[in-house]
Amino acid sequence: MAVTLNASTSSGFVQTADTSGELNLQSNGSTKLSVLSTGVSGTLVQGTAVASTSGTSIDFTNIPSWVKRITVMFDGVSTNGTSMVCIQLGDSGGIETTGYNGGATNQSPTYTANTVGLNLVGQVVANASFMGQAVLTNISGNNWVLSAGVQLSISNIAAAGGSKTLSATLDRIRITTVNGTDAFDAGSINIQYEG
Amino acid sequence: MTHRIVVDLATGTTTQVEYTVEEQAVYDAAVAAQAAEALAAQAAEVPAETPAEPTAEPTQEA
Repeated sequence: MAVTLNASTSSGFVQTADTSGELNLQSNGSTKLSVLSTGVSGTLVQGTAVASTSGTSIDFTNIPSWVKRITVMFDGVSTNGTSMVCIQLGDSGGIETTGYNGGATNQSPTYTANTVGLNLVGQVVANASFMGQAVLTNISGNNWVLSAGVQLSISNIAAAGGSKTLSATLDRIRITTVNGTDAFDAGSINIQYEG
Repeated sequence: MTHRIVVDLATGTTTQVEYTVEEQAVYDAAVAAQAAEALAAQAAEVPAETPAEPTAEPTQEA
């Protein structure tokens, strides 16, 4: 038998005579979580890729409070300057620009400590783009840790690590540059989040 | 005006949000400060006046 629970339609409780053993939870007719014989699926939410071709920052807002891990993906991203791209975290009080620990380094050793955000690279060279991903994981309470690895178009790899404790539940992140004035001019960025 | 891109995960909408007048003023001030800093760095890199070519060392007379 399969069971489907849908909290918002007239056919809210559906039993199907089969041998699948599935339990599906729906909202407005769309399956959000499935318990299958092979495990639980549906807890990973994929965002929509956004073109990072303009603007000084890209914000992802209204992140659900149950989220425990966020993956930010970058493909061919570049800016019109040489300021390092970083990730800033925020809550209901807004984006925070202090209290970031850790730093980032490039393959050719250039370590840069975090300041206004969690840096993804240790140094940016003009006209260089990068691809890779950064993973933000909730370690406890409002404390988040980051690990990132990206490949730069100048045959160089960067690695980053850091942490940040917010004053309240995370609900937004911002991709921007350390100087806050360089603008994105190429590539795309997307996120995945899970609880 | 300068802008940022905002992706609302609750609605799935992506919008371009123009800076407010206050944000634009902060942005303009930051850009001006960066330009001034770059000019100062450039000025510091200008080599000092090259001293006159030293004359050949006098050879010891026998």
